[in-house]
Amino acid sequence: MVQSLNRTLDMKMAEDSSIILLGEDIGKDGGVFRVTEGLQAKYGEERVLDTPLVELGIVGMAIGMSINGLKPIPEIQFQDFIFTAFDQIVNQMAKMRYRSGGTITVPLVLRTPYGGGIRGGLYHSQSGESYFVHTAGLKVVTPSNPYDAKGLLSSSLDSKDPVIFLEPKRLYRSGKMEVPDADIKVPLGKAKLLHEGDSVSIITYGSMVPTVMKTVTENSLDADVLDLRTLSPLDRDAIISSARKTGRVVIVHEAPRTLGMGAEISALISESSIEYLYAPILRVTGPDVPFPYRLEDLYLPNTSRILRAVNRVLEFR
Amino acid sequence: MSEEIIEHGEKERLIRGFGAMVLARTLDNKIMTAQRQGRVGFFTPTSGQEAAQIGLSMHLRKEDIIYQYYRDMPMMLHMGVPVDIIINQIYGNSSDIAKGRQMPSHLLARNYNFMSVPSPVATNLPLAVGTAYANRYLKKQGIVVASFGDGSSSTPDFHAAMNLAAVYNLPVIFFCENNGLAISLPTEKQTKVEIWKKAEAYGMPGILVNGSDMIDTYEKTREMVEYVREGKGPVLIEARCPRMGPHSTSDDPTKYLTDIVKEGSDRDPLVITQKRLIEMGIITEQVATKMREDSQNFITSRFDELEKVPPPSPETLFDDVYDEHTWIIDEERGDIIGRN
Ligand SMILES: Cc1ncc(C[n+]2csc(CCOP(=O)(O)OP(=O)(O)O)c2C)c(N)n1
Repeated sequence: MVQSLNRTLDMKMAEDSSIILLGEDIGKDGGVFRVTEGLQAKYGEERVLDTPLVELGIVGMAIGMSINGLKPIPEIQFQDFIFTAFDQIVNQMAKMRYRSGGTITVPLVLRTPYGGGIRGGLYHSQSGESYFVHTAGLKVVTPSNPYDAKGLLSSSLDSKDPVIFLEPKRLYRSGKMEVPDADIKVPLGKAKLLHEGDSVSIITYGSMVPTVMKTVTENSLDADVLDLRTLSPLDRDAIISSARKTGRVVIVHEAPRTLGMGAEISALISESSIEYLYAPILRVTGPDVPFPYRLEDLYLPNTSRILRAVNRVLEFR
Repeated sequence: MSEEIIEHGEKERLIRGFGAMVLARTLDNKIMTAQRQGRVGFFTPTSGQEAAQIGLSMHLRKEDIIYQYYRDMPMMLHMGVPVDIIINQIYGNSSDIAKGRQMPSHLLARNYNFMSVPSPVATNLPLAVGTAYANRYLKKQGIVVASFGDGSSSTPDFHAAMNLAAVYNLPVIFFCENNGLAISLPTEKQTKVEIWKKAEAYGMPGILVNGSDMIDTYEKTREMVEYVREGKGPVLIEARCPRMGPHSTSDDPTKYLTDIVKEGSDRDPLVITQKRLIEMGIITEQVATKMREDSQNFITSRFDELEKVPPPSPETLFDDVYDEHTWIIDEERGDIIGRN
């Protein structure tokens, strides 16, 4: 996925001189995960800014650039460090179009790696997608493979509204696949059905997608697997049509359960489709504790927990 | 100094500046009265800060971009923002550019290069830095001004913006309108160091001006504005301009403020500036009186007229969240006001 993101940034920067990258260590060093490797050498320090260490400044500057005609792509080195910039995101970025009556807009793509799986402990592992999804005015996107990474990034750059682009860092170096050299678009707001079945719908996204797919193939589950790809706005139609077809739903994410995406999806399904359901909607998520260092594997949802939930909804009567 | 101004043929500029001060004060008083009458919801008065703002904006050009804060109505009027744009925002009516979405005082006029005022103080400052970066990158003319109060100088946004503007050597004027208070907290309890002196720590020039005197501010800020225009980097200007009223219409300053500058007293910036202009032979007492009367009549008639403009229509609640309505917003709109 790193390579795909890097190539997409390269391609887009070559096409559009208004694209500016800014963030910590993204220039000379190429970013701590190498997503921006080589881009400063190619496009210069004026377009790839190694910024001082100040997240709210990176985001605030990006907003000001966007207002004045640039297409900035700020990077926050780890999503865990975004919180000093949260005010800028929630109160400036997300509300600018609304509070200016549509006269000032902030198209930009804020990239940040999120989630666990790298032994990063409390502060290099969090999954904070709910904070952003809860904020009107933002779009929230998360790819689960190199192809979608390219297509979603490309579409995000077309968006006239700010996009929070969450990169599951655990998948940065896994899931090798062919990604076309040409531009591709994966539309925002559209989920992807990765596996088709009639007995149960497993709804997931980001880092959990490979784990869910493994569970389904290893156990030959007759399951729909829906990769949401965009968390805000959700693909309502895809969620509802799968839930109505199978009548049994399990939602899987790495973020803690309370007010996670699962809560919203579950409410959406019960509000629209309760009469189609044969079983309660279950969630398989990270626990409501801070993200641990040594016991990381216990924290992350795994095949056996997913399977247990699937069996519970299948056997429910 | 003052003679030099006249020699440069800037009489008109001074008269216009003073005229804007008078207009702003008239509108300010009108809004405060209207708020007490229940015609307006809220306001943060600007009186006492007119000379500081206009002393600076007399150097500004149309292409300059302003990230103003919630007390900068005088500067907006001086830069040619029509009174109607301001009054419509104060009423939050259907003609308001922001469609009645913000509390009064949070003004905006994109067509006049005045950006939108947020409530969280100093969050405008990092944006100004980014906008200045874009200006330079895109080779646009113009500089960027970011204004804020003394209390706002304690925020992380102030620090971030000052540092970034200096590191990237950007054309930004940081304009601190020090009115001596942040709601109830006096400046000396806000910070140990005079605000203008902080400039040096970031690597930019800083100056202090008497913001109660338009001519003084105008003269002392000239060099700073030129410095920024020449691309030499950012500057910090602190203008001392004591607040003359409450923090806002929701505030009772008698609890914490004993030495308040009274309107018409010899510390009122309008009185100070008028006196100097008369001494310089630029206006007469009669001209000043006429300006006040004309402003009064004009403001009263626009204020009464625009009160008749209806509130924003219910559908506007759901517009401008995104470029296009999401299904969520359509669904919620349907629940609340019915589908169309
Ligand atoms: C971040 C933030 N904290 C608190 C407030 C509430 N508040 C509104 S104005 C204000 C004082 C601001 O003082 P200053 O920056 O000196 O500007 P002044 O109002 O004196 O012009 C406070 C605390 C706010 N708007 N934003």
